Amino acid sequence: MYLLEAFVYGAVLALLSGTFLPLLYRNKNARKASFGLSLISSILLLVFAGTILYTGKEPAFPAFGFLPGLNFTLATDRLSAGFILLIAAVVPGVSIYSVEYIEHAKSEARKDLQTALTNLFILAMLLVVLAGNMVGFLFFWEIMSLSSLLLVLHNYSSEENKKAGFFYFVMTSLSTAFLFLGFISLFRLTGSAEFGQLEYPANTLTLPFLCLFIGFGIKAGIVPFHKWLPYAHPAAPSSISALMSGVMLKVAIYGFLRFLLSVSTPELWWGVLILIGGSLSALLGVIYALKESDIKRLLAYSSIENIGIILIGIGLYVIFKVEGLEALALLSLVGACFHAFNHALFKSLLFLCAGSIVHATGTRNIEAFGGLVKSMPSTSALFMIGSVSIAALPPTNGFAGELLLYQAFLQSSALTEPLLTVLLIIALSSFALTGALAAALFVKLFGITCLAIPRSEQSKLAEEVKKPMLLGPAMPAALCILTGLFSKQLLSLAGWNFEFPDLLLLGLLFGIIYAALFLIMRSKNPARISETWGCGIPSLTPSMEYSSAGFSEPLVMIFKGIYRTRIVHKPEYLDMQESLFKNGRVEIRLLRFFEEYLYTPPAQAIDNFSKLVSKLQNGKLDSYVLYAFIAVIILILATGGLV
Amino acid sequence: MNTSFLLFALLNPIFALLAAPLYMALIRKVKAYAQGRKGPRLFQVYYDLRKLLHKEVVYSSTSSWIMRFTPYLNLSALLIASLFVPLLFVPEPVGGFGHIIVFLYLLALERFFTALGGLDAGSAFGGMGSSRSMSLAAVIEPSMVVAFAALAFVLKSLNMHEMFALTASEVLPLSPTLVLVSISLFIILIVETGRLPVDNPATHLELTMINEAMILEQAGKNLALLELAHALKQLLLMGVLINTIFPIGLSTELDSGKIAVSAVLFLLKAGLLAVVIGLFESSLAKMRLFRLPAFYVMAFFFSALTILIEVFA
Repeated sequence: MYLLEAFVYGAVLALLSGTFLPLLYRNKNARKASFGLSLISSILLLVFAGTILYTGKEPAFPAFGFLPGLNFTLATDRLSAGFILLIAAVVPGVSIYSVEYIEHAKSEARKDLQTALTNLFILAMLLVVLAGNMVGFLFFWEIMSLSSLLLVLHNYSSEENKKAGFFYFVMTSLSTAFLFLGFISLFRLTGSAEFGQLEYPANTLTLPFLCLFIGFGIKAGIVPFHKWLPYAHPAAPSSISALMSGVMLKVAIYGFLRFLLSVSTPELWWGVLILIGGSLSALLGVIYALKESDIKRLLAYSSIENIGIILIGIGLYVIFKVEGLEALALLSLVGACFHAFNHALFKSLLFLCAGSIVHATGTRNIEAFGGLVKSMPSTSALFMIGSVSIAALPPTNGFAGELLLYQAFLQSSALTEPLLTVLLIIALSSFALTGALAAALFVKLFGITCLAIPRSEQSKLAEEVKKPMLLGPAMPAALCILTGLFSKQLLSLAGWNFEFPDLLLLGLLFGIIYAALFLIMRSKNPARISETWGCGIPSLTPSMEYSSAGFSEPLVMIFKGIYRTRIVHKPEYLDMQESLFKNGRVEIRLLRFFEEYLYTPPAQAIDNFSKLVSKLQNGKLDSYVLYAFIAVIILILATGGLV
Repeated sequence: MNTSFLLFALLNPIFALLAAPLYMALIRKVKAYAQGRKGPRLFQVYYDLRKLLHKEVVYSSTSSWIMRFTPYLNLSALLIASLFVPLLFVPEPVGGFGHIIVFLYLLALERFFTALGGLDAGSAFGGMGSSRSMSLAAVIEPSMVVAFAALAFVLKSLNMHEMFALTASEVLPLSPTLVLVSISLFIILIVETGRLPVDNPATHLELTMINEAMILEQAGKNLALLELAHALKQLLLMGVLINTIFPIGLSTELDSGKIAVSAVLFLLKAGLLAVVIGLFESSLAKMRLFRLPAFYVMAFFFSALTILIEVFA
């Protein structure tokens, strides 16, 4: 069908012109038009992906010659259509939001650049998912990484953001390096750069698997490669955080699935490794999030948790597939993808709301919020929907996704291997713990941010944001509720008829009972408004309220093994021998386990090695002549040896 | 929808709602006797609820729509949850009603909004209650899920209607694995309803408050709704335990005589369980907050053991 492909070309064209428009015309209308174009492209993609998911057609695209011997090909199947749908679901909300949000950037040039880069970023993510071979995949992957890097660095003058940008750059380059390694080893095996079914014995695929797992893992933010997320998100604009967390992490998941699904015979330990990695990410992500009081960093940790949940689903898929339980394997795979889709919706919603809150109050510190439900009622209501969805409460979409995974876990009694059952019980309980901790986390986030008395002057003076910044998050919010209610119907539309509770029925019944209770209980005499009882103190002050740190204290006590603290001495001396003390700082802070034990040692080693090498570069001509001489001698000896 | 489920959807919630406060009172009575007091009459709890329903509602000036919304939401959630646990008879399952995970997450929904309601008034008590409640709930969650997973493993279904149709139809339902799960379910019942040694429902002391602290700022009919929801939750969890270990008499078909018998039998069995809970509470002191996870691990252990026995046997 020719028409279907036209939708993709249209979307790509719209995004491309959206990229160049603000750079060429450099005014507010061009920026508006640019976001309008990304909105149009997402509508086109929605139709395209929906049709493919429903009909199962796989349209063919002609190959594009890039360089001699290097072709880009585009291809779609149901997997990529699912992730295109994900992009198309997140982008509209972000575009509408950005129209207003971007105008708060510091200078005109930054506004134009940010608009252009946002479009480029969306385009790159789309093309990664559409890529039909490794060349295109890696090319667009790099564009995606670089455009997001520039967006993270949008506020490049701040020291903190520079550090965040550098951290992100190192991590994303590492990710690409591993991907290159993985794809090259695949290429050596197959002799082709196309993605195709890999009918090879699993032991020959060990190297590609490990490289791709690490490469995609870094980008998706799996523990222990997750540290760039809590740095990059607070630095990036909120609309970009929404795209990075909502879509870019899922693009990494897509890449990993693209490889994994093409392997006909995976090995059991792959599944076990993915499951353990997923459980660990989920649990540690949410545990770190609980301690966090920076709203965007908290959401970043929560993304790590959700990526963990998606990986749990993928791990289950591999395990069930190896064990020959095809139905359960499909259930877990659909559960993982569905959760990816849902997470894209509610996390972009939460990041957009967080952006509005940060914009209105001027701070990211949760301890300074409070009472926003009165000063920003609409944003708070949207934030509520996001919190309920991410806490996986029925009948929202967050619940529907986790329910699929629970079902996969609970039906695993068909497994014959007892040790696997033990593993699954452990994974199940950590999955349950994660879910409940996430609920506690979002009670804290919503409760401390939006409820009670404002804890600071900024929060008291906060004003509701303008319409586009409400309409933007309203779209994913509506989708969160709708995909939850219609989850059974949507899944069966896409061709998966699982035995799955009908949440629409549940939701309708909920509404009826609620309305009935409300009508029965309606009374004529109005409610009295009085003050909160403050133990006899005339009026309550914000300092009497529970704080964010106080709220998570019981859990911090329970998991105190994970939150270890470290005392750091930073003395300064007047002399080189360190005997005359000038001044110093001593701080007690949380032990940054992964950073201090996993990231710093190799970085330190590289640093030391570079110092060693830089000693050779002393700038004296005679020593360079000496190096050249030695090099020549070595060459002669080496070639002589060869001859 | 079939007639059996429609009838069930009508009868079961009403029965549960009417019976639920009685067992709050009965446990209180048993505890009073154990302490050498007489305690209030059994039906006092109904009079109290009626009194509350007619009193005016007082809201804190700092509170928002969350506080006004929570009581109705909680009772609605629990009324829907009462469609998941067969008390009078076991209907043919419809549309996922009876799914154990949905049931657990309906309880989570109630807890989530109760905790938000606790934070809403800005009182330190409410915040403390919310914080403790969510923390303890997080720690008990693995035990709960694994206990229900154990039920699912033993009874080979994810639907409580199917599960309990199976236990009720067996002549001698007491299998050793079900006894093991029941221990976990009992602990979960104690924890989820905020009883000793986890929380003390009888006091308003800061040190012991968890559940009571969250609803401290609620008044009038809203308080009545929240208390009803709490009582309903207790009854439903009692129902799960009773149907697992002692399902004798639970009707599996739509027959008015049999339904009446199973209603009476359930009231008696629940009464017995309430006496046991009362005695259990009287014999224990409240545990330190941070000792509680160890108590929960016990529940986890018994359910995990059940699954392992099912798998290895």
